[in-house]
Amino acid sequence: MAAAAIHQFAECITCHAWSPDHSMVAFCPNNNEVHIYKFITDKWEKLHVLSKHDQIVSGIDWGRSSNKIVTVSHDRNSYVWTQEGHDWVPTLVILKLNRAALCVQWSPKENKFAVGSGAKSVCICYYEQDNNWWISKVVRKKHGSSVTSVAWHPNNIFLATTSTDGKCRVFSTFIKGVDTRGSQASTSTDWKFGEQIAQLDLSSMWAFGVRWSPSGKTLAYAGHNSMVYFIDDVETSPASQNLALRDLPLRDILFLSERMVIGVGFDCNPMIFSADETGLWSFIRYLDERKVTTSTSRASQLSEALGKLYGQSKQATSSDSVEPSKPRGGAHENCITCIVPLRKGNDTVVKRFSTSGLDGKIVVWDLENHMDITK
Amino acid sequence: MASSAVYLDADENLEAIISRIDQKSRKIETLLKQSKPVEALKTALEGSPLKTRDERCKSASWIVVHRALMAIRDVDGMFNSLDPEYYDILMKYLYRGLSTGDRPTCDQCLKIHEKLTERAGLGCILRSLADTVNTV
Repeated sequence: MAAAAIHQFAECITCHAWSPDHSMVAFCPNNNEVHIYKFITDKWEKLHVLSKHDQIVSGIDWGRSSNKIVTVSHDRNSYVWTQEGHDWVPTLVILKLNRAALCVQWSPKENKFAVGSGAKSVCICYYEQDNNWWISKVVRKKHGSSVTSVAWHPNNIFLATTSTDGKCRVFSTFIKGVDTRGSQASTSTDWKFGEQIAQLDLSSMWAFGVRWSPSGKTLAYAGHNSMVYFIDDVETSPASQNLALRDLPLRDILFLSERMVIGVGFDCNPMIFSADETGLWSFIRYLDERKVTTSTSRASQLSEALGKLYGQSKQATSSDSVEPSKPRGGAHENCITCIVPLRKGNDTVVKRFSTSGLDGKIVVWDLENHMDITK
Repeated sequence: MASSAVYLDADENLEAIISRIDQKSRKIETLLKQSKPVEALKTALEGSPLKTRDERCKSASWIVVHRALMAIRDVDGMFNSLDPEYYDILMKYLYRGLSTGDRPTCDQCLKIHEKLTERAGLGCILRSLADTVNTV
């Protein structure tokens, strides 16, 4: 089994993030709080509860070098938390939104962060040293509907977004005073803030989980029509590959390396995708080995699943249908909504990552022993 | 979906589509007479007018596919020789068949649907539901 550790933290987890040294994990247990747990000796202890938001915290990101946590919530606010001694001190960031914030990510240099919202806009926030607060610049009128996920290009300027209008867009977020021109390649410095570099209209359904490959050459995102799209060279000459999935759609993806992608979603099992030498992507296999259940245990599983479904919060994927058609026995029992890499030092290839889902579990996966996957 | 106004397809106009479907229909009849139901189904599915919004074209196409579908007796054998690229569009036509409510059509469509789901997976069903651009 590739699952190194399975932790049941709550009834349902919206999103999670790890501290830079991976000793602490912050997550939202489907309410307005953020819980930070630390693994002390042999069990998880709840260290902090960050409760400033009024509604569900929909996105958390923990900066690797700055050790700052940024949280966004359905209450249209965002807080940047800084650790001072034993406490986490919040700083309100006024996003100027009139709808919920849905996702957040620190930029690679952690001097900016991007927030996707239901107001059909993306906010790019940066720190203004003079006034000692975070300012938000909004990219409006470019999206047709809610922005479900955001992803930063390694050059700290390009931002890819996916939206429920089915399109994936790439913008420039160049901000004078924060980003520097001239030090990068000429193509990426000619764009103004908020300028749309590319719009990909490959999916007719909602799009989720956009990510750039480590070098920024490839862009990948998942469509709700059970497809994954891989696009090369978005800026110059986009070439796309549409991969049709056999099973249920994905919600989030992660690039392990230039040619390896993990997708997670409604199948409750991470899927491995790989590109061969010609750059052709294909589905390899599921990561988790499932135990095949016999017919007698189905009845007990059914009642167990019934109990879980009725006890689960509103965020559960299906409250009407009760039939568990897939054999359970894997690490996750419900939709996986979030996948986060656990990078060791300056590794370019990700060998460990964690997933969280609507079943309230955080599962850490280790691919160190799976040499057939990691190249 | 305007059915009163004539919707000019980007690629070809409606008359061309209808005449193409007529040609397909004749070809399918010959293939069925030669006891080649799988070939007939392939011909029916190929080149279906997916992008058009005109109801007449879609109905005409459905009639042709329906004819080929009802002639299939050996479902497993059919899937052995049907290319996977046809799975998504076949699934869309199966749902159209199930929506007719006609007993023999639904029986046949359900039989094929079961086997198709085994082969193509749930993703195929999702794509037939989600695709609002290419409809049958």
